[in-house]
Amino acid sequence: MHEEARADVEAAEDLRALQEVRVKWLGKKGRITQELKGLGALPSDERREAGQRIHAVKEAIEAAIEARRATIHRAELAARLAAERVDVTLPGRSGPAGGLHLLTKVTHHLLDVFAGLGYEVVTGPELETDHYNFGALNFPPEHPARDEQDTFWTRDGRLLRTHTSPMQVRYMETHAPPFKVVVPGKVFRNEAVDATHEAQFHQLEALVVGERITMADLRGAIQEMADALFGEGTRTRLQPTFFPFVEPGAEFAIRWTHPKTGRDEWLELGGCGMVHPNVFAAAGYEGVTGFAFGFGIERLAMVPYGVPDIRWFYQSDLRVLEQFEGAL
Amino acid sequence: MNVPRSWLEALVGPLPATEEVVDLLDGLGLAVEQVVERPAIPDGVVLAEIVEATPVEASDHLIRAVVDDGTQRRTVVSGAPNTTVGLRTALATPGTYLPAADLTVEARELRGVPSDGMLCSPRELGAYDDARGLAAFADDLPLGTPLADVWPAETVFELELTPNRADAFGVLGVARDLAAKLGRELAHPAAADRPGDDAGDDGLAVVVEDPAAAPHVALQRIDGVRVGPSPAWLQHRLAALGLRPRTNVVDVTNYVTHELGQPSHAYDLRVLQDGVLEVRPARSGERVALLDGDTYDLDPADLVIATPDGAGGSTPVGLAGVMGGLHDSVRDDTTAVALEVAHFDPVRIRASAKRHGLHTDAHLRFERGVDPALPPLAAAYTARRIAEVAGGTVHPALSRVGGAPAPGAIRFRPSRVPFLMAFDVPPATQRTYLEALGCTVDAQEDDAWTVTPPTWRFDLGIEEDLVEEVGRLHGYEHIGATRPDLAFTPRRTDPTHRALREELAHEGFHEVIHYVFTGDEALARARAPEATVALANPQGVERSRLRTALYPGLLDAAAGNPQAPSLALFEVGRVFLEPERERVAWLLAGAYARDGWTPDTPVAWPHVAGLLERLAARRRADLTLRPADPDDVPMLHPGVAARVAWNGVDVGFAGRVHPEVADAYGLDGAFVAELDLPLAARRLAVADVARQPYAERDLAVVAPDDVPYADLETLVRGAAGDRLVEVFPFDVYAGAPLADGERSVAIRMRWRHPERALRDEEVDADLANVVAAVRAAGHSIREG
Repeated sequence: MHEEARADVEAAEDLRALQEVRVKWLGKKGRITQELKGLGALPSDERREAGQRIHAVKEAIEAAIEARRATIHRAELAARLAAERVDVTLPGRSGPAGGLHLLTKVTHHLLDVFAGLGYEVVTGPELETDHYNFGALNFPPEHPARDEQDTFWTRDGRLLRTHTSPMQVRYMETHAPPFKVVVPGKVFRNEAVDATHEAQFHQLEALVVGERITMADLRGAIQEMADALFGEGTRTRLQPTFFPFVEPGAEFAIRWTHPKTGRDEWLELGGCGMVHPNVFAAAGYEGVTGFAFGFGIERLAMVPYGVPDIRWFYQSDLRVLEQFEGAL
Repeated sequence: MNVPRSWLEALVGPLPATEEVVDLLDGLGLAVEQVVERPAIPDGVVLAEIVEATPVEASDHLIRAVVDDGTQRRTVVSGAPNTTVGLRTALATPGTYLPAADLTVEARELRGVPSDGMLCSPRELGAYDDARGLAAFADDLPLGTPLADVWPAETVFELELTPNRADAFGVLGVARDLAAKLGRELAHPAAADRPGDDAGDDGLAVVVEDPAAAPHVALQRIDGVRVGPSPAWLQHRLAALGLRPRTNVVDVTNYVTHELGQPSHAYDLRVLQDGVLEVRPARSGERVALLDGDTYDLDPADLVIATPDGAGGSTPVGLAGVMGGLHDSVRDDTTAVALEVAHFDPVRIRASAKRHGLHTDAHLRFERGVDPALPPLAAAYTARRIAEVAGGTVHPALSRVGGAPAPGAIRFRPSRVPFLMAFDVPPATQRTYLEALGCTVDAQEDDAWTVTPPTWRFDLGIEEDLVEEVGRLHGYEHIGATRPDLAFTPRRTDPTHRALREELAHEGFHEVIHYVFTGDEALARARAPEATVALANPQGVERSRLRTALYPGLLDAAAGNPQAPSLALFEVGRVFLEPERERVAWLLAGAYARDGWTPDTPVAWPHVAGLLERLAARRRADLTLRPADPDDVPMLHPGVAARVAWNGVDVGFAGRVHPEVADAYGLDGAFVAELDLPLAARRLAVADVARQPYAERDLAVVAPDDVPYADLETLVRGAAGDRLVEVFPFDVYAGAPLADGERSVAIRMRWRHPERALRDEEVDADLANVVAAVRAAGHSIREG
């Protein structure tokens, strides 16, 4: 009988079959259980010995079942693991990775720099009036300085802003000094489009007004920006020039190593100067000084990151956009 | 403006090396765009005169010329039309290498005629770009003179001048700045000239009808000139300026235009009837033929030079300040010249040049402002120069009308320089700088000077202008770097919608930036709203309108990337409705998810709705989607079109692109959404965590399939009592045994009491109310 039970156990292929073996031998009506019940019918002198024998058999069967259970479990686990195997080298499943436009990344980087320097970010309309784009910025009517701005006019006499400077006036009209603001945004020039010129591009402009702002404060702000963009100790340069809305006026450049040529050279970035008294007058300000500086974002995105053609920014070619991913 | 180095040196003395001059000019605000090295006329080229010229028999255009090179006569064959006896020209002797033509001249035979050298055009000499004929020179030099001696190499600084510096449009103005910077004395070219006598009688008369338009007009008579080629030195300078030499009289006027910055025009005196030169507004209907050979219809706002017509009126002969007339100018046989030197109103000249699309050296200077006091002196100087190169006698009298107003004085505080520039320049030095620039300085009071700018500096009007002049001469390199201490705390807002952009990028969208320019056709193709803003001067009809929506750009982008199996694009930008507003739009097309080796998950509406839900959830915003009226969103599939309400306010649409629109872009299909910005977030408010279990009931509502789920939910919410905390659909079924056009929506509702468990009978009562409401709305409940 022992051998028969063992054969039953060994024959069980899975846990369910093993459970049936357990019932058959050890269940309430199982053969061992029956034998144990039958002990009472034996004479008392045999009962003890028979009891010990049956219990030994029972324990042996239990041990065999347990051993078999472990074996079956291992086999089932192994089978499951084998069945669940995948080829982890096949491509994953998802949509596009997504990413920000390079111009947005560069703008955000700059805004981070200016936020760290205590500037507030403001934005304004792209469709502007002659007053905000020119008049209030000290461009007299019929002045040749207007020709340099290659303006897109609308049929109803408005214009697409040629620079972010209209926000100087709009901000001053609604805020009192002192303040430090920075204005990012799209601007428009009606020039022939080529690899370095677009009819639409982006500028960033800073305006600081207080009781006693100086040209050195302007230089300092440009220096801090240069340090943040190109590393501590970057050289900066101001040279006199003319913009109607600043006096004195200057253009500024940053000394850097061109990533392609490896040459040290001046990267001419933009214009700057002390806010012209006529601009303050147009905004109703008195007894303050201030500085402003502005520059094109495209240039700061093209030269350092090797974008060869400004039109790439606006052509929405995925093969280009996908290259915009990654850290600056 | 091109400035030759030798010319500058003639006015300020020897200059340092080229790179240093560039730095000096840049530092003065006279930005050097580039430096051009112009070659000398090659060695071996000498001045020679043609003494015989006969046609070569075997040719229809070759001429056999005998030239005198000062020591011998040579026979040379030439094909130039101006190979005529008496011409003084350039002879390249055999062995001469001409780099501009990459040619070594050799003695040879042409059509049987021996040619002992080569007569050269200016282009072949590398002198200037003119190959129409042989170079022609005046007779001021001995024959045989090596032309390299009078036509040496030249360094030319090409300046990119700012529009305020009218004075720097003459070499003199640039030289004045350099002299002031270097502390040199300026050698004014007209220092020794004296204007003619206003009271004298020269038989000329100037009549000015509108003195505001022509405040100062001078007319100088020169008799006995001989029109011919200019001397080599004059041609050399004009060539360095980038001009083409013409004849001596005209060349001198161009020379002075670029030296003093004073344009002038030389009239053949025979053209001026009775010697009268009139400056007046054009009359309606008048026309004038100008030097460029075109005839222009004049506008009464134009200012013309005219001369009496003998019938009591006058005939225009030139467009004042812009261009001289075709018939009034000096000709080869001119002997008496009337030289007009004037100051015109800049605005008037600018408008006139713009009106006629003319861009001339004269208008460029007049529109920026020519020294109003200069005409008498410039007339004397120019006339002297003409007489020097063309012979003749300068008349001692000058006919002149008007004058120059005295420049306004500027109150100037020297302390303002350290105040604004934050560097120190001693007052005495400031004074030196200002005087070197031509200012008159009254410095009687310590910090309250009166500074009168010179008449040629239109740009100096206020104290800050003078601060800049001092700063410019002292040098911007002395400006320090400081940070102002301002009592200002910036508000931290997100006007560039950075959070949204980054969120969409993380959702897998690529950001694009499109042109704001579009056209009616493109807007119509996308079924976008008609343009409200039209450009007056567009770059083509397809860029003549401003966009009224962002999604057409995204459709363009999708059409432009046909190879992409999966597209997710977004743009944040402004659209030009009234008023202009900021929007976000996105586009999904192709596979929403794919791996390439199992079937793709095509983009479907739930992906669009799901994105909206995530955006709303992150902002705690209340999002509602409602079926859109197809007329309102013609770009969308009428069956997959939603209006989007954000915190109860309609902000835009989302849906599937209408198949006809998709076809127009060659797209298989796409989903788009476009929403007004900002997508406002609700203020964060953290509530206690619910500690009671909820009770749940399900209901299958059978309703016509065009009743939106949102309506059913509204119905449920309205009837389920205030303990209802959650409603959502968990199954939507159509088909047997339901009738056609019907569907069953299984809705799960959850109720919770804040403090205790709900009893079954409470929940069942709420459910009964819901059932009643559903039935009252005409729908039925599907049992089991």
